[in-house]
Amino acid sequence: MSRQKDNNLSRRQLLSQIGKAGVSIAAAGAVSHLFYDREGPKPGVEAEDLITLPDFSVPHKDGQAISVVTGADRVRTVDKAIELLGGIERFVKQGETVVIKPNVAFASSPMLGATASPELIAEVVRLCLNKAGAKQVIVTDNPINDPRSCFTLSGIGKAAEQAGAKVLLPKDHLFKPTTLKGGKLIENWPIFFGPFEKADKVIGISPVKDHHRAGASMSMKNFYGLLGGRRNIFHQNINTIIAELAMMVKPSFVILDGTEVMLTNGPTGGSLSDLKRTNTLIASTDMVAADSYGCSLLDLTVSDLPYLSLAEKAEAGTTDYQSLKPIFAQVS
Amino acid sequence: MGNIQKQATHLESTISICLLAFLFLIAAGLFIKQFDTDMSRFGLGQVAAAKSETAFDLSSQAPVGFQTLSQTQNYNAENLYEKINGKAPLYTESGFWNLSTQRFINKTDQNLWMEVYLYDMANIKNAFSVFSVQRRAEADTASLFPLSFGYRTGNGLYFAHGQYYVEIVGSVESDELNKAVEEVARNMLSKLAVDGSHEIPELNLFPRDDIVAGSKKLYLRGAFGFEELTDTFAARYKIDGETITVFVSKRPDVKDAEELMAAYYDFLIENGAKDKEITSGFDNGKIVDFYGFTEIVFSNGEFVAGVHEAEEQGAALKAAVMLNDKLSEVTRK
Repeated sequence: MSRQKDNNLSRRQLLSQIGKAGVSIAAAGAVSHLFYDREGPKPGVEAEDLITLPDFSVPHKDGQAISVVTGADRVRTVDKAIELLGGIERFVKQGETVVIKPNVAFASSPMLGATASPELIAEVVRLCLNKAGAKQVIVTDNPINDPRSCFTLSGIGKAAEQAGAKVLLPKDHLFKPTTLKGGKLIENWPIFFGPFEKADKVIGISPVKDHHRAGASMSMKNFYGLLGGRRNIFHQNINTIIAELAMMVKPSFVILDGTEVMLTNGPTGGSLSDLKRTNTLIASTDMVAADSYGCSLLDLTVSDLPYLSLAEKAEAGTTDYQSLKPIFAQVS
Repeated sequence: MGNIQKQATHLESTISICLLAFLFLIAAGLFIKQFDTDMSRFGLGQVAAAKSETAFDLSSQAPVGFQTLSQTQNYNAENLYEKINGKAPLYTESGFWNLSTQRFINKTDQNLWMEVYLYDMANIKNAFSVFSVQRRAEADTASLFPLSFGYRTGNGLYFAHGQYYVEIVGSVESDELNKAVEEVARNMLSKLAVDGSHEIPELNLFPRDDIVAGSKKLYLRGAFGFEELTDTFAARYKIDGETITVFVSKRPDVKDAEELMAAYYDFLIENGAKDKEITSGFDNGKIVDFYGFTEIVFSNGEFVAGVHEAEEQGAALKAAVMLNDKLSEVTRK
């Protein structure tokens, strides 16, 4: 009887306990509301941790912004093209560190034209080291395929090292997140920043290629290699991302190799039949202008490649390469 | 109230402490893990950890005098871009199932190596489509492929075999390497198990006279920029010295074919085409001028067919009449 009595709550006790429970629930709810993040989790990066790629461009010189040299020998055409822009000494000073960013996207034979020419890279390395007196030249890329295989099978690793450059393969700790001011896609996105952190100058070297998604892969698309993460999602917005790369990267100059262009089945190619010899090499401080000229080697116009106009609109360069008074030359 | 406030037993206390410790470990784990963002996963959901594999053993296909240069690599639709980057959509939009790749290198000459790409495209039409739209124009037709579609170039062999599309790409142009490439192709052709028939009936809808060898293509979707024009076969003809492209697409029924023909015609008009008068040969067709090119579209039974971007109207009409007659052989049955 007394046990049953002990188990019975009085109305006062019941109300008191309900009240306490209510307060507890309300407090928990209030704390949850206070800490609730409506935007969801960010990729774990605070704004102050974001990096910005330095500006590697050199001061503009009228009449020395773009050169177009025709000839079959890449070593001779690139020598001439750089000379016409004022020589390698205009871009690289004694004791500087230079990063060369070639297109090494695929573990592919150099003969197939899917990657930059090893002999071209070697010559630019030699110019930087021997003629300009650079302290160090780093050749690097973040390829689509396994980096070691790409640098080995493309012949670029060996050619660069033999010319005196250091070949740097991508590693996780070399990636840092960035957000492009004015960009729509590059937001808190990891980029291959490590090699560029202490660089003084940057030179892009790329072949002229057909590209199934973008229409063409040239100087601007070459810097797609800087993107880390699962960058294939950008293929859905290929024109925007290429334009944003042109906004993000300001190289000292670029070399666009149209000695032999990949006319079909790009960007991988796979057959000699995909290639066409056009014997043209372009060097420019404006990669939008370089690509605007380069697309003609693929029988395309500026209007065929929307990313060119997008980049121009973002003031990353000009599609009107004629306005830069290109210097034309031929070497035998 | 007495039994509510009773003293907890030793066992109950131990269990409670263990539970609290377990909850604390979970909280600590969550706290630590939130600072450990995996950068490789930016922008996408969980990646398929397991890469799909084909049952075919590529690594055992090394030709005489060659050895494997790398392990077999397998890719599915989610990670195909890791291998072929911007060309991945060509495959993934064509029913791609998986890709296996394997490199072989000459035992004595390190410059001689090849890479085999074995694409499983799920069915023969998908395989033929990716084969045909990438076909190199000046490629030789190889006698190697009695049951398949294939050709060779200076440094490689390319063929569609059942549901498979295969590329064997040599590192250089070399007789020795080309022989080895051919040996791999022969081995694969004899061993690759194929589901279903090797035949694509629609390829027989094209008249044989004047056709350009190796010009047949299949556009699975979006033929000639018109998204609704799916499963469209095309071929080129040499007529009166002109190269003419004709196309044909089989629809589920006559009504569907008529509606698609009308929709394609509207698409051309909306994009600037101007009507021309049809002089002969069609009961239900349209001919338009599209910025100096002649476009013809007509339906015949359950087929939508026509001529695309012909420079000469006369040759275009001849090609259209020829194709219409051929289709009538099928639709009259």
